[in-house]
Amino acid sequence: MRLLAVELDRYRSRRAVAMLVLVATLLTVLLAATALWDTRPVSWAERARAEAQLQQALDDPQLQEDVDDCRDNPEAFFGPGTTSEQCADFLVPRLENFVPRATLDLGKVVHGRGTALIVIVTSLLVIAGATFVGADFTTGSMSNQLLFVPRRTTVWAAKGLAVLLSGLVVAAVLVVGFWAVLSLVADARGISTPDRVLWDVRWTALRGIVIAACGGLGGYAVTVVLRRTVGTVALLFAYVVGGEALVFALPFQRAGEWSLANNALAWIHDGARVFDDNLPCRPGLAGCQRSYELSLGHGAAYLGGVLLLALLVSWLVFSRRDVA
Amino acid sequence: MSVTADATAVIETAGLRKVYRTRAGRRVVAVDDLDLVVPAGGVHGFLGPNGSGKTTTIRMLLGLARANRGEMRLFGETVPARLPAVMDRVGAVVEEPKFVPTFSGRKNLQLLARPLGIPSTAVDAALEQVGLDTRDRDRYGGYSLGMRQRLAIAATLLKQPELLILDEPTNGLDPAGIRDIRDMIRGLGESGVTVLLSSHILAEVQQVCHSVSIIGNGHLLASGPVADLVGDNTLSVVRVYVADPDAATGILEAAGYHVARAGDHLDVEGAQHPEDITRALADRGHYVRALMPVRGDLESVFLQLTRDVTLGGASGPLPGDLDDTEDTDDGDHHGEDRR
Repeated sequence: MRLLAVELDRYRSRRAVAMLVLVATLLTVLLAATALWDTRPVSWAERARAEAQLQQALDDPQLQEDVDDCRDNPEAFFGPGTTSEQCADFLVPRLENFVPRATLDLGKVVHGRGTALIVIVTSLLVIAGATFVGADFTTGSMSNQLLFVPRRTTVWAAKGLAVLLSGLVVAAVLVVGFWAVLSLVADARGISTPDRVLWDVRWTALRGIVIAACGGLGGYAVTVVLRRTVGTVALLFAYVVGGEALVFALPFQRAGEWSLANNALAWIHDGARVFDDNLPCRPGLAGCQRSYELSLGHGAAYLGGVLLLALLVSWLVFSRRDVA
Repeated sequence: MSVTADATAVIETAGLRKVYRTRAGRRVVAVDDLDLVVPAGGVHGFLGPNGSGKTTTIRMLLGLARANRGEMRLFGETVPARLPAVMDRVGAVVEEPKFVPTFSGRKNLQLLARPLGIPSTAVDAALEQVGLDTRDRDRYGGYSLGMRQRLAIAATLLKQPELLILDEPTNGLDPAGIRDIRDMIRGLGESGVTVLLSSHILAEVQQVCHSVSIIGNGHLLASGPVADLVGDNTLSVVRVYVADPDAATGILEAAGYHVARAGDHLDVEGAQHPEDITRALADRGHYVRALMPVRGDLESVFLQLTRDVTLGGASGPLPGDLDDTEDTDDGDHHGEDRR
């Protein structure tokens, strides 16, 4: 426990880590601020203008003709399965079509800025985990530490645990803070959010916190092997630029199941739809459908497997390799 | 060969071997069949030319590098297997000081001390002992080389070690600092701490050390008390002052001596009995104005023993060229280089 406390102290005392956490905080604030600004309540003037535009649209005789035509043959308008009752819903404009901004909808934020937040926090925690141990190697202080605590597995585990716990705290503060602010503002604006959406927000946030903290642990594990922060960052960059493109260029069906990004999205969003040109055409509402669903379980198994493999290699290398 | 636990030995190695592989794939033998014994108590010098395997040996003893073959013991315990059991008794500075540059000197020591439950008062005492107590809150990155060296020594003192391993501890220190550290090492040795001092400054080693081990090409070349080594290995050189050095040179060479002309005097080797020189010259009408035996020192012994070793590490790769993935194949040594 003493060693873990020291490693936690070492982690939070690193200037590079502090800078990364600061950047993550600023970006979180920025995301929340833009989400709130883009959904700020419309002014009376904007509402009046929107109502006038709505009335003008409703008065258009072409609208009624379109609705009548749709009711005669709804499937020709909106594809198989459409009923005549849906025509008015689909064609008749509403006030929100004319106001300049949408209201704050937490369900939409989850799949937009909420996901962006998780990606940002995860990326920064990966770099933080990498720089935490990378600096130990580049400054040579790792050998000094091993002269005081020679049990390498203990040192490796304490550092990894410190990265994981610190990552959990940082990610939890940022993600929970982000959603807390948005929820409070939604309440203040009198916007009610369905329980289903609130559950989605909570679970997505929780899974986001887990993936961000585990990302930090992954960055740590890879850097123990490479011994250079820049090596881990370069590897990540190479994967983001080339690896994902390579996966999608493979001439195999469902190659996207091996994409890190797809599996991360499947984990964050409780499943993700992956488009694949190698799949046979399947008729759907919008024509030919070439996609499949990647489940939460698949994402969890893939990401967990990759992390465990990285940790195993990291531990083996750290246990056996000479330390300069 | 195996190590048998010697109750009086603090460090023992037998048949120790380490092979590095360069990034180009070349294998470099850093330590080869090294048998080393460091007795308990006192200061033991560990000498060798650059690249002779001193630091590699120290790193293997401390568990920072894995040996390809051989056995090692610290305090009679086999290492690296039993290293955790003895490491609390060992303080070490390996190569240059290594700390986190953005932390203060005090913070660096605290982070090392706390896992072992060493109190902060011990940190204060160590900082004071090396004279860093007034600069302890400065960033380590802003320290001079001498201050870094002092901090490294302070770190070794935190554990109040029974064995202190110091690799070039006076590097970068000013003359006063060198004297302070030398006095401290001498004092520790006299207080019962065993100090293994790896140094290039042979005069310093001779002043401080009770015994030395000299290695070259990864092998042990000589080991024992300084006085014995100097006595055993010093050439019998006699310095002779005569009125006519040229004529005296011819006479002495004819008598079977090896003579070197040095300014206004001659250095005569191989003279076990100086009176024979006097007699040989007097018989030919040349009279000695002055004659004195030249005392041997550790430097001459060191140079004599390591004469065939390329100095300056030119034959080996630089540390940065080395891939520290060790080679565990001991069967085939063809094509190996030595550092």
